[in-house]
Amino acid sequence: MSSSIFTNSRDVFLDVVNHKDYVQLDRVSTIYQSLKDSIKKPLKMILLFGKPGTGKSMFLTKLYNDLSSSQIVYLYQTPILDESEFYKTLAQDIFSIKYSGELNFTQFMKIVDNSSLDTIPVVLLDEAQLYSDILMEKIRLLSDTRTIKFVITLHKTEKEDLIAKEHFQTRIWETIELENSSVAELKIYIQKKLMKANCFDTANMFTNKTVNKIYKFTNGNYRDTNKLLYALFDIYLAYEENHKLSSIGGTTQVPTKLIEMAAIHTGLINA
Amino acid sequence: MLDINDLEKRWLHYKIKSYIPHAIITVSLIVISTILFFIIPSEVPTEKKVTTTKVIPKQIQKKPIIKQTATTQVVTQPIIKKEKKIVPISIETNKKHALKLEPSLNFMNKMQNASQPYYNNSNAQDKHRIMITPNTDSFKKPTQKAPIVKEEVIEQEIEVVEDEEVIEPAHKISIKRRNTKDDIAEIIKRFKKNNNPALSLFVAKKYYELGDYQQSYNYALITNNINSDIEQSWIIFAKSLVKLNEKEMAIKTLKSYIKSSHSNSAQILLEEITSGKFQ
Repeated sequence: MSSSIFTNSRDVFLDVVNHKDYVQLDRVSTIYQSLKDSIKKPLKMILLFGKPGTGKSMFLTKLYNDLSSSQIVYLYQTPILDESEFYKTLAQDIFSIKYSGELNFTQFMKIVDNSSLDTIPVVLLDEAQLYSDILMEKIRLLSDTRTIKFVITLHKTEKEDLIAKEHFQTRIWETIELENSSVAELKIYIQKKLMKANCFDTANMFTNKTVNKIYKFTNGNYRDTNKLLYALFDIYLAYEENHKLSSIGGTTQVPTKLIEMAAIHTGLINA
Repeated sequence: MLDINDLEKRWLHYKIKSYIPHAIITVSLIVISTILFFIIPSEVPTEKKVTTTKVIPKQIQKKPIIKQTATTQVVTQPIIKKEKKIVPISIETNKKHALKLEPSLNFMNKMQNASQPYYNNSNAQDKHRIMITPNTDSFKKPTQKAPIVKEEVIEQEIEVVEDEEVIEPAHKISIKRRNTKDDIAEIIKRFKKNNNPALSLFVAKKYYELGDYQQSYNYALITNNINSDIEQSWIIFAKSLVKLNEKEMAIKTLKSYIKSSHSNSAQILLEEITSGKFQ
């Protein structure tokens, strides 16, 4: 096994949101399909929520890429926290109106009312929990006009639940919750990811026992799993460069020691 | 590039840390189990010891001695004496009528109500058991040589001894009816069941009569422990002490008993002991 395979395997688990890295898992695919169906419905707003690292951003990116060919869709991965800037960005992207000065909500509503779009544009807002309550209320009012459809993602915390209740209780809606993977899903996730990058040898190293151990540390969280596996292959690389691969039992199976070392390195274990 | 050595050190530290709770649990389990192993068995046998040391072992020690004495009569003497004294039997057959049969009924009078029903039964059974006392001392030496005995032989032996006694002068022969050690064992068994002080007192008295002062002392002590108000028990206790050469102890015990009970019998016994009448 050459060193490049460890490098390639490691890079597979770089924590980057790229729709190409999206891994088809049965349960996730079902959720994704229901999200796509929801967008077709005459709903004002769709809420996508879940714990950090459950794949919300990936979902949104994937949705953006899938819908962009068939309908007008805008993705804002980074929240635009300034209110005026938020309206100006939307005015420019959706209605192609450049606004040099301050743009307040009233002025933006006038623009929306005067618009004559054939199809309703879909605006995807990631990390919506960072928006202020006032801005969230205004987004709700915007969605009420049925001129713009919003799909927003939220972290599932008490605060976010509160936002959901206060702002969207009577509106919307479709709520879709994303969860951590199961052990079986995690194994498929890891192996599919590696095989996508043609790392078949390293994919075969992940037996049920190995995946169970990984699951123990990451609890099926995709982000944590990516971090752990990145560190794991980094450790493999280090052993290989020091010609110590034989001391860890070769490359037939991932030893528990290495998984624990990777967990220590990524902070999943306090050592 | 990762610092593998540092990471391995951290991993080793983590492993040691993760094993600490397991080690603590294991060690504590071992400690608990060893404590339990030593404490529980030591508690249970102590109770057994109390019962066994007081009653069972001493019976076992004493039983064979009597049986052996009985058997020696069978093996040694009858054969020899039969041959020698055939003639005198025919001459002095009339002296058989001079044999003294003295059923000891003293203990019956002294028994308390609780133990009386049993005693009567045992008495009924004992009518068939007649033992010869005077020759037991003379048979002590042969006992070591002939330990095995059959019942049929015992029957023969009794007859022979009677013959032998006929030969000797009548005033020296005394055949007394006695409760055997089996009866005492039976009573001890009953005593162990119901812990009746009357039974233990009876046993103490019987042992005293048999000359086993150590056992009579033990049972008198047990009786006193169960019920400290039984006068007879204290008297047997003091008498046994005197017989065991513990005169001072006997006097001391009697004095303390008299002080609390004002017992006349105890007072008389005390005077006898101090004056040397009772030895």
